[in-house]
Amino acid sequence: MSYWAKMRGSSQSPPGVGLAEVLWSWLGAFLGIAAVALLNQYWLAGTDLLLIIGSFGASAVLIYGAVKSPLAQPRNLMGGHLISAVIGVACYQWLGQVPWLAAAVAVATAIAAMHASKTLHPPGGASALIAVIGSPQIHALGFFYVLVPVGLGAAVMLAVALLVNNLAPQRRYPEFWL
Amino acid sequence: MPQPPPNHPPGPAIDEEDILQAMREVPGYLDITPQDFRQVYGRAYAHALQRLRRGRPAEQIMTREVAAVAADAPLVEAARIMAQRRVSGLPVLQNGRVVGVLSEKDFLGAMGAQGGRHFMEVVARCLTQGACLAAPLRAALAGELMSSPAVTVGPRRSTTEIAEIMRSKDINRVPVVDGQGRLLGIVSRADLLRAGGPA
Repeated sequence: MSYWAKMRGSSQSPPGVGLAEVLWSWLGAFLGIAAVALLNQYWLAGTDLLLIIGSFGASAVLIYGAVKSPLAQPRNLMGGHLISAVIGVACYQWLGQVPWLAAAVAVATAIAAMHASKTLHPPGGASALIAVIGSPQIHALGFFYVLVPVGLGAAVMLAVALLVNNLAPQRRYPEFWL
Repeated sequence: MPQPPPNHPPGPAIDEEDILQAMREVPGYLDITPQDFRQVYGRAYAHALQRLRRGRPAEQIMTREVAAVAADAPLVEAARIMAQRRVSGLPVLQNGRVVGVLSEKDFLGAMGAQGGRHFMEVVARCLTQGACLAAPLRAALAGELMSSPAVTVGPRRSTTEIAEIMRSKDINRVPVVDGQGRLLGIVSRADLLRAGGPA
């Protein structure tokens, strides 16, 4: 297929889902984000820590909205976030004085590392990027960012996914663990 | 109708509409395009065909509980075992090793059938000459009538090779033996037919 012909696309969009699937996705995401946000707002109030970051919104799409996807499985959710967070913090600390370079290296390296470790999880790229472009509060965490918010927040979301997805008669989660 | 992608591997003709319909029937969101699915399916189908053509090892399809007879057993005992177990042939053992195979064909030959050793030859001789008694076999031993040496295979030989052996030697069963010639099982034409079907 020629270079330009490839841009036309050659398949079609997979079918949409029914109303029940939409509602279960809504419920799972509501409860998952609520759990992380509530803990962030009350439990960590008055500390320098935080539990919620933007990449969890993207994880919610996968683990509550596309539960069968390989990208949404626990190995990918946890592995993708943790590996990417380490890479993000390292890039900020080594290359932080050149912000554009640190951001680009962090995301690109995170994707490569997730591929290499079979943990590809798109929100991991966001976790790596946030470590670089995030607030001074994030930067102050150093490598602790890997554990909280990234590791702990993802674990809370995973627990909610296990509890809620398996309530749905048509769903089961996960497809695999490791 | 959408055209198959170039280099589409051999497989049953399914088009994207079939795949979309199947995807609609699976509850939940499937994170794959119909074309990706067809590519995976076509390749998996080709791999399955290749695997079936290669055949499976004898040890996977053989019958393990084999009726056998000792070389020094009377023929009448062999005949009774064959009747009881409803088989048309038995491996013949001596000191635990397979030394031959005794089959209906060997009996037919001894009962007057020539060449093709077919049951109807015995019937024809019986009707024309009255020489159809199995009585001369009464005192004989399994080891005297068997076909030997036995055509045997090892446990790793493939169904494809075994089918070729059966065809070229015109036999219906092949004992499976270990390196010392000890009986492990037997592959009959029926076993091959079963192995060729859905596993």
